Parts: sequence; C-alpha cells; structure tokens
Amino acid sequence: MMTLVIGGSKCGKSSFAEELFADFLGEKIYIATMLPFGEESHASIAEHRKKRMGKGFATIEKYTDIEELSLPENCGVLLECMGNLCANEMFRDGKISVPTEKIMRGIEHLRTRANRIVIVSNDVSSDGNSYGDPTAEYIKILSELNRKIAEISDNVIECVFGIPLVRKGALK
Amino acid sequence: MKMIIGGAFQGKAAFAKERFELSDEEIIDGEICDHNAIFEAKCVKNFHALVRRIVEENGSVSEYVERLCRENPNAVIVTNEIGSGIIPLEKSERIWREQAGKAGCIIAKNSELVVRIYCGIPEVIKGELR
Repeated sequence: MMTLVIGGSKCGKSSFAEELFADFLGEKIYIATMLPFGEESHASIAEHRKKRMGKGFATIEKYTDIEELSLPENCGVLLECMGNLCANEMFRDGKISVPTEKIMRGIEHLRTRANRIVIVSNDVSSDGNSYGDPTAEYIKILSELNRKIAEISDNVIECVFGIPLVRKGALK
Repeated sequence: MKMIIGGAFQGKAAFAKERFELSDEEIIDGEICDHNAIFEAKCVKNFHALVRRIVEENGSVSEYVERLCRENPNAVIVTNEIGSGIIPLEKSERIWREQAGKAGCIIAKNSELVVRIYCGIPEVIKGELR
C-alpha cells in the first residue's frame, strides 16, 4: 500500500501522514530528508520530532540516495519530504542534475522492503510567481515526480488547512 | 464558524456574500480592518492579509486566531490559500506563509463548513451546504 500525501506549507500533511501508521503493527521507519542547515530548519526538525514522539517511529536521516537504504522486511516507511529529497539530489556536488529516475528507482527499492509507504510531498507550483532557473527547473522536476508517484500510489491525499481530500483511492 | 478558501480572485467573497446573505458593510477587509473588529464581524475577507499584518507587528497569530474562534464562533472567514509555492527568500514572507497555514488549520478545525472556491465554483470539503 502506497500513499502520497501532498499539499502546501503547514497544511497538516505531516500529522495526517503519521496518522496513517496508527494501526500499523510492524516496524515503523521515518526517513527524514531535510538537511539540517540554518536556524529555521533546525527549528522545523525539532518541531517535527516533537510531534512524532511517542508514535513509535525510528528516524533515519537520509538526504540523498534512498535507493541505498537497508530496511527491515515488511516495515512501514514514512518519507518526509519529497521536496527536500528532490532539491538535495538536484543540487548536490555544486552542479544541477535531473534526479527523477534515480528517485523513482529509490521508491521502487522502498517498495521491495516495505508493506506500507507514505510519501509526503509539496505542491510548489501554485504561487503564481515566475522564477528563473534553477528554481523553475526545480518546480518542474518536483511536479513531475509528484505525478509519477501519484501514478504508482494506491491513494493520493491532498491536505488543505488540515482537511484531507481524496484525489485517488481512499483515505486509508 | 464557516470558512471559504481558494486562490486569489476566485469569487470567494462573492460566494460568501450571496450564500450567507451578507451586506457589503458586514464584510470587513483583512487588508485594512481594525484588529479587534474581527471579533465581532459577521464576515472577514482577505484573512491572510490580516495574518500578514499581525506577523509584521510581531503579534501572536495563534493567540489571535484562538480568540477569534472563541469570541466569534459564527464568523465567516474568507482566506486565500498561499502555501502552495516555493519557500520565499524573505524571512518575513516565510513566517507569514507558515502562520497563514497554521491559522487556517485552526479555523478549519473550528468550522462546521469549509468551502473551496475554484473559478467561482464551490466545492464543499467539510460539512455540508444547507
């Protein structure tokens, strides 16, 4: 079972994604993709950790190369978030690459190990602003990734001000 | 409480006005209204702009919104969705965006009805239109 949970900033997508594991009895793994860089990301990471506390997730920090993760069989995986993973892969080593296929291979790898996968991603395409490269390229690639992930997901849930909307499949 | 959301210029305030039979005077504008007016107003539009003003004045958005839900539980709140974009370069813009999202979650939770307007077309995403 794979679910894509997507939405804008502070729309309740993390809380909703965590809830999807409330009845999961196996090992629960949280893949954190945000690079701890600067005061705000540290604050954000601390906030997320606090919210996850007591929910039984083991946290693995993996900023790139999710295809290399070794995971226990039949585990549950919550990956948060695709927006960071995409940026980290795109802008690594001081050059710009197109990581779409690599990331999709990584997701396929997760699927060989996990029974339940929830991927949290961002909608970054609707602020109406025009950006030059590489931001425009990032919006394009992340949106493309979101479409590809939606295609192979059983459920796609858009979060809006804390309200989950079913875009594909069902709520659970 | 009722909440009307959507992108800019989708007909949110027009929908609220018609649906809830509000006069222009009953709809205050978050861009310019007095901060305390919202605790008594029937309807506030551009709520996201009010959040921005509070952020600029270093006020607590969550306290303000909780007071709003407590003191004006029948209000109609009209707000843009502003969170679905690139993280802004400006710190104040980032804070505004996040606070507008968090405030919206609190209001949605306290609302019996949430309607998202797209091209003037309402989609009920919580509760039901009676």
